[in-house]
Amino acid sequence: MKHFIKAGLSAAILIGGSAIASAQTQITWWDFLEGGDGVRMKALIKEFNETHPDINISSTTLEWGVPFYTKVQTATAVGQQPDIMTYHLSRFPLAVPQGQLRPISDDELAEAGLSPDDYFPSSFNAAKVGDQLYGLPFDIHSIVLYYNKDALDKAGLLGEDGKPKGLDGLENFNAALAKLEESGVEVPLSLHTDEGGSMWRVFYTLLAQQGAPFIEDGEILPGDAGLKALNAMTNWVASGYSPELISYEASIALFTSGRAAMHINGVWEVPTMKDLAKNGDLGFEWGAIQIPVLMDQKATWADSHAFAIPHSEANPISAEKVKTVLQIIAWMNEHSLSWADAGHIPAFKAVAESDEFKKMEPNATYSALAETAVFDPEISIAGVAGPIYEATQNFIVPALNGQLDPEDALDMVRDELQGLELN
Amino acid sequence: MRLKSRNRTVTALLLIAPFVICYLVVFAYPVYKMFAMSFTNAPLIGEGEWIGLDNYIRMFEHKLFYTSVYNTLYFVLLTVVPNTLIGLGIAMMVVRLKGWIQAGILVLFFMPYILPVTVVTQIWQWVLDQQFGVAQPLIEAIIGRRISVFRDPVWAMPMVALVTIWWTNGFNVLLFISALRNIPDDYYEAASLDGASRLQQFRRITWPLLWPVTALVLTLQLILQLKIFDQIYLMTQGGPFNSTYVLLQLVYREAFGRNQGGYASAVAVALFVIIVAVSVLQYQLLKARGK
Amino acid sequence: MGRISPSNILLLIFTLIAACAWAFPLYWAIVTSLKPEPEVVGSLSFWPQTFDISSYAFALFDTNLVRWYINSIGTSVLITGIVIMISMMCGYALSQLVFPGRRVLFLVVLASFMVPSQALVVSQFVLMHKFGMVNTWGGIILPQVIIPVVVIVYKQFFDSVPRELREAAKLDGCGEFQILFKLYLPLNWGITAALSIITFIMSWNNFLWPFLVTTSEEMMTVTVGITQVGDSFGVQYARDMAVAVMAAMPVAVAYLVFQRRVTQAIMLSSGIKG
Repeated sequence: MKHFIKAGLSAAILIGGSAIASAQTQITWWDFLEGGDGVRMKALIKEFNETHPDINISSTTLEWGVPFYTKVQTATAVGQQPDIMTYHLSRFPLAVPQGQLRPISDDELAEAGLSPDDYFPSSFNAAKVGDQLYGLPFDIHSIVLYYNKDALDKAGLLGEDGKPKGLDGLENFNAALAKLEESGVEVPLSLHTDEGGSMWRVFYTLLAQQGAPFIEDGEILPGDAGLKALNAMTNWVASGYSPELISYEASIALFTSGRAAMHINGVWEVPTMKDLAKNGDLGFEWGAIQIPVLMDQKATWADSHAFAIPHSEANPISAEKVKTVLQIIAWMNEHSLSWADAGHIPAFKAVAESDEFKKMEPNATYSALAETAVFDPEISIAGVAGPIYEATQNFIVPALNGQLDPEDALDMVRDELQGLELN
Repeated sequence: MRLKSRNRTVTALLLIAPFVICYLVVFAYPVYKMFAMSFTNAPLIGEGEWIGLDNYIRMFEHKLFYTSVYNTLYFVLLTVVPNTLIGLGIAMMVVRLKGWIQAGILVLFFMPYILPVTVVTQIWQWVLDQQFGVAQPLIEAIIGRRISVFRDPVWAMPMVALVTIWWTNGFNVLLFISALRNIPDDYYEAASLDGASRLQQFRRITWPLLWPVTALVLTLQLILQLKIFDQIYLMTQGGPFNSTYVLLQLVYREAFGRNQGGYASAVAVALFVIIVAVSVLQYQLLKARGK
Repeated sequence: MGRISPSNILLLIFTLIAACAWAFPLYWAIVTSLKPEPEVVGSLSFWPQTFDISSYAFALFDTNLVRWYINSIGTSVLITGIVIMISMMCGYALSQLVFPGRRVLFLVVLASFMVPSQALVVSQFVLMHKFGMVNTWGGIILPQVIIPVVVIVYKQFFDSVPRELREAAKLDGCGEFQILFKLYLPLNWGITAALSIITFIMSWNNFLWPFLVTTSEEMMTVTVGITQVGDSFGVQYARDMAVAVMAAMPVAVAYLVFQRRVTQAIMLSSGIKG
């Protein structure tokens, strides 16, 4: 009998114990962060879980771009969505009309201890559609020009301050590429020439540097600014400065192996360079600067990783969970200094204005780009994995690789998107 | 007696019930639902309104639809006949061997068939990697430069076809081997006594006797390859500039990526109709040829 | 033919080279997976200079591979079991019993050959959602249980069982279910094994449907998981290959063990075509 009671007791304890364990709030988290970003985000999640015993985030990293957003779309449709996900701000105009994002009320925001003043207005406002907030920005990220100091020095393109000189203006830039080639560099400028996302960033930067919009009064790519931008890119490939159809990994490898003198890519590859340099695997000194003014004015494409709560008609998230999710978002923002280490510019003012961030290199060198950053147009065809990206992949990429005539390619972009925009 | 036959009917119904119920639920109903949805503007999940033939009109105005039809047929062209011929060739080599050598060689040829498609595409993407792929020196030796095969509009589809043939060929090899084994040896002996050359033997004996299996292989291939999606999705995503976009991928994109259940169903109906039409047509042709 | 003549040796050598070339990508995947990462992108070598199995440790412990195995094995076994059971019973009824609608059923099953189940993914997905089965094993399994050809194969095999055996069993007082399971099934173990193997491989390798119907990492099958989940450690070729090799392992080993059965299975089903 005693044994029986004992057994019963221990069973009760076991059950009680598991009840306590299940009182922990389970949060499902989806992101698309791979590479250096992924490592840092995993570390942040781990730290959060360790410091918050009552909350457990279980995270899944799905493939970036179309696969991720397709899965989100399907999951919200059937009510199997995660509680929190990373989302590109550029996609908000596409996602909100489809009802994929759950609005966040002022009260909920305040309860999490956050206020609009905590963020830079440009990115905070981009997280709104109308007056309604649909997510919170985490960073501002852009593209920069990575350069090999040794190679630039040899070609006489390095200034006293260790930064490139004579790159402003398209003609000068092209002349610099020619100089680099003469000085024996195999690849003057490494670009990720085989994919629409990467090429959209460069194309849009060159467009914005002409002060030209992508869409105006319902007209896609008005005027010849688009052609000018595309011709500049096409010329790099045609002149042999940039190899054609290079995959993402290879475009980086060309630079890190010293075969390419310059490389245009997102700030998120900063950790790759940092880590290689730290381990002595880089073989040269590297730097990163804001994209030079190749056209008429300073401007760089930019986007934001934001946090959002997926909305599902079938299975809406509970108010309780929203509270927890916002608590997580607030914590992530407060701890975004380690995220800045991945090259990004934090969207959270307190971190972006901290001394630690201001001292962080190379972020400090290029963080001024935020002042002239140009976000994707706020229309429903824009955004990562949206129709504009797709059109870039389908027409602009082939054009700059010499598979399509640039002018025809832009007409095709117009044809493809014009109809969609009207819908 | 009447009771007995009723009993028998009940037993029969019990036997067919599980299959018939499953069939109605997960097969027949979805076929109906596909047609029904194609006349509505329904999203993936949720009801839509009846919009008549609008989806079909839109489809026939959709450039990507034509591109997808064309590419699907191009892929079929690149795979069906080559896959059959290569299967036959390998089978004829293997069937002449004996014992464990034959078994071992068959394993090498057949192994890819049992691999999941994702493993196959992972392996080939690595083998053909533009920078580090082991096949690139070979390509460079022949073409003169490295080629990013899945990103090149000329190369992409043939390479997807090549990978597909590599993956699925083992099945055809086995069918041909079993057919070749069924041809009695004395046919050949008699023929060589008559002084027939190897080529003549093939044309007079092997080919005619192999025709039924060849027809089977062709039919199976044709229907299988029309349903191409996995390899494309995993290797080229339909690019570059839609040069490998296929029908099933369009269904997938519209339904799951763009939440256009109705329109996706219309494209699915088109795929459905094409496959049924091709099957019927081919069945008739083969029957005629077989006679 | 069996004698060793120069032309036979030439043929053997040629076949051997062709077979090795054919299987080379597999070899290359395995070799790559056993190299340390820098060696992979370093020089081209056909044998690892240093063996490194850390990629396998990664595949096993740092991915959800084990969980995906369980999903794949569980769903494939259940699909195979259900397909065989319902198709066999239906095939038996079509072959041996007289009942109203028999001819219609037979024609419907035969016509279903032509129906591409892939075209049904959208409506099947909607259906699974109505059943609340999206992202469950049930959702993965259910749409895969109808394979019309299996019914036809069973019917044809049952057709060729001698009538006398059946009459004898009847005289012994056996019911139809007993006749099926005690007489027809044992007589046709070969085709049952064959069909099971083929069905199992098909469902293990199925990509499209599990890819669509699973929405979380925990429910994915091996075939889906290995490419749809980012590992957040950048591109690592040796790891990719190790994961691929591990994903292929269970079926590959099963094939090597049951090699004869598998080849027989496919050859048997080829002898059946109408």
